[in-house]
Amino acid sequence: MANENGNAYALTTLCPLLEVSGEDTSPAALIRDRLHRVNTGASSPMAKVPNVYFCRFLILDDVIYESKPHHLEHLQSQYLVFEASLHGQLAPYLKGMWEQAQPFVRSMWQFCVGFSEVNDAASFTAYIQKCQVKTTFFFNGSTDEPLAEQLKSLYLKQEFSKFAYAHQGWSGKDLQAAFKDFIARVEPENLARPTWRAGATDLKGVVIP
Amino acid sequence: MSNLAGKANAMTLITPIDGPVMALINKTIFFFLGTKLFSSKLKGLLTLSMIHYARWVIVSARDFPRLSQSQPAEDLDYSYMLFFSNFNGSWAQYVDSFSAAIPDGLDGLWWRNVGWPQSVPEQPFHRYVTDNQLWTSHYYSAYPMAASNDVKSAKNVKDKLRQFIGDSERDDSDAFLTRYNRLLKSLHHDLGQMAPTPIVSLAAQAVEERRRTDGRANA
Repeated sequence: MANENGNAYALTTLCPLLEVSGEDTSPAALIRDRLHRVNTGASSPMAKVPNVYFCRFLILDDVIYESKPHHLEHLQSQYLVFEASLHGQLAPYLKGMWEQAQPFVRSMWQFCVGFSEVNDAASFTAYIQKCQVKTTFFFNGSTDEPLAEQLKSLYLKQEFSKFAYAHQGWSGKDLQAAFKDFIARVEPENLARPTWRAGATDLKGVVIP
Repeated sequence: MSNLAGKANAMTLITPIDGPVMALINKTIFFFLGTKLFSSKLKGLLTLSMIHYARWVIVSARDFPRLSQSQPAEDLDYSYMLFFSNFNGSWAQYVDSFSAAIPDGLDGLWWRNVGWPQSVPEQPFHRYVTDNQLWTSHYYSAYPMAASNDVKSAKNVKDKLRQFIGDSERDDSDAFLTRYNRLLKSLHHDLGQMAPTPIVSLAAQAVEERRRTDGRANA
């Protein structure tokens, strides 16, 4: 299936917007305004959602005109575009998204056609699947491991790089003892901690101890 | 509005394809690229190693979700190709790298898209990308301090480190040192510390500064 590449999954959705919001601003303008106010990095609501590598939200107002001699045409609706690159299967991911980011989800999709019928994880999953368009080709230039494995790997790379730099030229005996302490501290098999925090943008707060 | 999340940059393009036959031909090109026989054509993308994940999605009028009878059906003559990329570096670095390194590959991936100017020379190509680009309103990366190469090398570090721990468990100190040095040699491409991204967009940086200022003011 083109939505999948190994264990990585490409979710692409086009969610039609209502024609009016019931407020004095259009649905598109309201959603854009809300999206611009959402916290970024580790404070993004998406940082709490399991197994999402990357995601983006944008409004598709219309298709693009390529000028003459091509002809001009327009979309009949505007769409909220939500796309995510994630690990694993779609249904558990959407369940996690609903459970971990429900206020954000409700706020962003509030002005989308059909979203008023969403009231739990199952109906959210069904709604997103109705809005999903099939990926034609999915390119994975990274890995398809679970996000927790990726974050632990990044933590280990960072910490082991520091260790290797700090212990150059040490004797075998001293190095072996220091390495033992290092492994006890970084716990390579423990994915929960210590590890990197999802979405962290600076070194100060990146480690979950 | 930002297409940036640390080292990750979000590009979104929408380009028209002239009619169902041409859309079918483009889908067929992508189908063959997904097979083992033709996957070597993507070697250039892997070698450039700037992309975390990217996708191409070809839609025609009937593919646009219609969730209610009151929602008007789309009526489009063209099909459209949506392209989403999560890459490292600046817009210009990305676009120029592809134009310079895999021009034939790009011309194949956007084969006869309406208005496609060819990937070389660069100026018309830049114009086309700019004209067909959509801006992201919220962009999230799970690891803004990591480039695609960092994620791949981190996996290598983790795998080899775990292997080393088991293998070296019963080593005396001399054997441990020999094995450790061998480990470092095998990881010399993968080690190196990560840090926040350098500024690739003054505008995005200004937005971040403003957010921090507003955050302090509201605290």
